[in-house]
Amino acid sequence: MTPLLSFANVSKRYNDGDRVIRVLDHVSLELEAGVSVGLYGARRSGKSTLLRLAAGITLPDEGSIRFEGRDISDMSGRERGRLLRDEIAFVSTADWRANPGESVLDHVATSLGSKGLTMREARRRALRVLEEVEIGAGSIEEPMSSLASAERARVMLARALAHEPLLLIADEAALTPNSGERDRFYALLRGAAAERRMALLMASEVLEAIGGTQVMMSIAAGEVVSTEARATVVPLTRRVGAERFGQ
Amino acid sequence: MASVSPEKTRWMRGPSTPLRGALLGLLLERPGHGGDLANRLAARLGETWRVDTNDVYRLLEQLEKTGLAVSRDEPKRNNHRRTHLVYYPTDETSEALTLWMETLLPREPVRLGLQAKLSVAREQDAPRLLQALKAYERECLMLAQLVTPIDSRGRSWTALCLDSTRDAVFSQLQIEVQWAQRTRGRINEFLEHRQ
Repeated sequence: MTPLLSFANVSKRYNDGDRVIRVLDHVSLELEAGVSVGLYGARRSGKSTLLRLAAGITLPDEGSIRFEGRDISDMSGRERGRLLRDEIAFVSTADWRANPGESVLDHVATSLGSKGLTMREARRRALRVLEEVEIGAGSIEEPMSSLASAERARVMLARALAHEPLLLIADEAALTPNSGERDRFYALLRGAAAERRMALLMASEVLEAIGGTQVMMSIAAGEVVSTEARATVVPLTRRVGAERFGQ
Repeated sequence: MASVSPEKTRWMRGPSTPLRGALLGLLLERPGHGGDLANRLAARLGETWRVDTNDVYRLLEQLEKTGLAVSRDEPKRNNHRRTHLVYYPTDETSEALTLWMETLLPREPVRLGLQAKLSVAREQDAPRLLQALKAYERECLMLAQLVTPIDSRGRSWTALCLDSTRDAVFSQLQIEVQWAQRTRGRINEFLEHRQ
């Protein structure tokens, strides 16, 4: 079976003055449809680079990245844009942008412009996903700029879910010092992906944040270490102990 | 790692394996009597290890029985009328140390084993250490995977306690993974500068 996403000997380098920083060094991995993967690494370890490569936002220096068997490097900029719009959703509060005064509901609904929906249909879908990520009715007409960071992260998640992608990528999406809010966000993220049988690739510099994913990976010194041999990502059987506590 | 005969890894059984392994490394650096090796071990591993001299004598005897060390009765340096046992490496010591460097023991992940390896590692052990550190990192991630998060809202007392235990495990494992990553980075950097 063709994996949803695959990296084959992918390397990426950046220049830092005279030095060449090797961010990824011949990384190979495979991600099957419907599987959740958590990527752990310290700041500047290459997590975001790996995620941006997976989303086709940047291209590798060496190796190939395939999405549903198609080599991302062979796609035109327009094709990659379409991929990111329709099949891959990239959640990152660092890249958050909203029009001045735009309401929460409109922020989610207008992002569905390319889906061929009427505004009413788009708003209905937006309402549904906003409810799913626990944005209350009292907040949906509020301007985006008035939201706290934890709420904003959940709106970003709603926006991604509204597109019903095959792969949801979350890059340190819930940057909030409140560990309760962070847990809540990541529980929503994992739950929404599992319910839709959507593949999930999430990264954090907090190991606990990626807990509960089916495969855990760590990244450092350009190398990826995975809980799955040869970094091939396959679903793991759930533990009986986890069931006992309502998981 | 290629499959190795159980005979060659038998000495790695039991809780004192890190100390036995470190003793092999010290013997290869230079022979010594029990007290000398205990002092060198304590200096190398640091105060947190609580190296007991009697334990060191016992471990050296064990290593001699398995053919990884050999002792000779030699006169003391400051009193030639008295003798003590001086331990030497055998032809098998170096291979045993190499094997230990690349073996992740069943009791791990515990950082102590790797720490002991690092304390006596030779430069040629760098690739094996990198492998061991990666294996350790993977083991820590696998342990983290077993501790499934519970929903943090509307918790009972039991759930709160479970959550706190999970938090403790994750915090510990995160520190372990960070340490392994940092150490890999330092070894890689060293090797790059060497080239």
